[in-house]
Amino acid sequence: MALAAAEVAPAPQRVLRTGRARQKRSGLSEFLHALPFVGPSMVGVFLFLLVPVVFVIVLSFLTWSGAGPFTWAGVQNWVSIFKFDNAAHSLEVTAYYVLLNIPLQTVLALGLAVMLNRKRRGMAFFRVLYVAPYLSTPVAMALIWFWVFQPQSGAADRFLALFGIHGPAWLESSLWAMPVVAAVNIWQYLGFNMLFFYAGLQGIPTSLYEAAQLDGASKWRQFWRISLPLLNPTMLFVLITDVIGSFQVFDTLYVLTSGGPGTSTQVMSIQIYNVGFQGTRYGEAAALSVLLFGVILMFSIGQFLFFRNRTTYEYS
Amino acid sequence: MSTVAITPSVLAPTPAHADLRQKIFQVSKLTLFYGVLTVVGIVFIVPYVFAVFGSLKPESSILTTPAWVPPTHPAWSNYPNAFISDPQVSTGFGRYMANTAIVTAALTTGQVFFSMLGAYGFARLKFPGRDAIFWVYLATLMVPNIVTIIPLYTEMHYFHMVNTYWGVFLPYALGTPYTIFLMRQFFLNIPQDVIEAARIDGAGDFRVLTRVVAPMSRPVLITAALIAFVFSWNNFLWPLVIMGSQSHYLLTDGLANFNSGPGAGGYLNLLLVGSVITLVPMLIIFIVFNKYIVRSIQLTSGK
Repeated sequence: MALAAAEVAPAPQRVLRTGRARQKRSGLSEFLHALPFVGPSMVGVFLFLLVPVVFVIVLSFLTWSGAGPFTWAGVQNWVSIFKFDNAAHSLEVTAYYVLLNIPLQTVLALGLAVMLNRKRRGMAFFRVLYVAPYLSTPVAMALIWFWVFQPQSGAADRFLALFGIHGPAWLESSLWAMPVVAAVNIWQYLGFNMLFFYAGLQGIPTSLYEAAQLDGASKWRQFWRISLPLLNPTMLFVLITDVIGSFQVFDTLYVLTSGGPGTSTQVMSIQIYNVGFQGTRYGEAAALSVLLFGVILMFSIGQFLFFRNRTTYEYS
Repeated sequence: MSTVAITPSVLAPTPAHADLRQKIFQVSKLTLFYGVLTVVGIVFIVPYVFAVFGSLKPESSILTTPAWVPPTHPAWSNYPNAFISDPQVSTGFGRYMANTAIVTAALTTGQVFFSMLGAYGFARLKFPGRDAIFWVYLATLMVPNIVTIIPLYTEMHYFHMVNTYWGVFLPYALGTPYTIFLMRQFFLNIPQDVIEAARIDGAGDFRVLTRVVAPMSRPVLITAALIAFVFSWNNFLWPLVIMGSQSHYLLTDGLANFNSGPGAGGYLNLLLVGSVITLVPMLIIFIVFNKYIVRSIQLTSGK
């Protein structure tokens, strides 16, 4: 069955066309025939994806307070997000979060994947265990972590107290709040990223490692010279997905700190929410959204170019 | 590759000695290996255990006893209490759960059904502009969710859908580009002769889809349903934005807002009940459909 599917796969369109040639449909009637199938999703994509992308740019030049008419604002929103809302600060905070999150998360995920990529007992069990947080509702998990990181009474400080350490006030400290948020997110998505690396490692033929072993290469050397270079495509995928995700972090942050203390953890997404839905200044919030979109696009393209220019290896 | 044992570089004087050395080396290596995996495992499992313990403690001891100490007299009444919609005693998770269930059922059904229709159209029908439209779908995968929140809210305001169930699920219920993409790949691989055979029997496209293609595509349909269900159940920002009144809150909104409200810290035990009842369906799904979930993750990376 699977084999037959694979053989037929390359040419189904052509077969379809010749099979239908007798009916001689016009373009319009073909379209009308397909409409019940593709119509609903076309409406959905148009109304809820394409219109918003265009409209967010338009709205960034308008004033709207959540009701009533739109009025033209020119570049005023753009000026005020930097002057009044200090968007530069939010960008910095966002960058700080991404920097805390991505390198550690990637290294840990890769390390765990390498450890689990062995034929030993219990590997499947640990794999499942590490992936569990990925599906666990982030808001519910964040609430549990919020309780764990309560000053003095929470599990974290009580645990430190066992060793005579007087723990910090974590989420109420502008020094510790962001590292805690980053740690919680790393905990949540580590297993998910590990799975990608694991799949990538599984795809590398064992013959390469056997050959390296015959040449006397150590495990460490095999990792740097075989595993890592061949994981380049996986690395690109994981980094782009994680960076895009980290720039949008919201759920965990909203529950843990809501941007505080002060504005020390106020990332772009929290600011968009605050300016828009709390401050009902939707024009400014739209400008912030466009700014964030620009930053995310820039990073994605940058990463893509960086990895594209590195050698990818063909192996069979 | 682990079958070939690493020989220590230091040569031992006698073979017996070398054997012992090797054995000690192997055992300590294995101990370290499993030790690291277990410690990491504990970090992964501990918050769930804390939450279950905490959800069974009375309000008075939730902050006065360490989280890792099990409740001495489990307060089972916390569970029914968390469901009651009386703000004086409780958190009203019953209402939130019903809201989440309604929205998730509608979103999942709509997303799977309309994505299936769309995927069939793009995989099996021929019409002008098909490939161009499909490229537009793929391009929209690049748009981050957070960027469209503000304009989407504005749109919903003009559709009079703020504070309605429709407002929460409609944007995701007409078929999403990602799911359509996944299903299309699957539908393309269904042998043409099977479909032609059905056509000769006089089946139209809708019949071919529901009677031939869909039954043959169960794995991808289950994967799509899981993606939609998990997305909707865990979704937070959009429902938070669109559901202004508390009676319309979903589980996630109820959890988050009780925490930042004036009584922050109060009802913590009931909030943990809320967390547990929110997490249980996800954990059940994760255990039952583990294979599909791992598969869907790997599909995403193109493996």
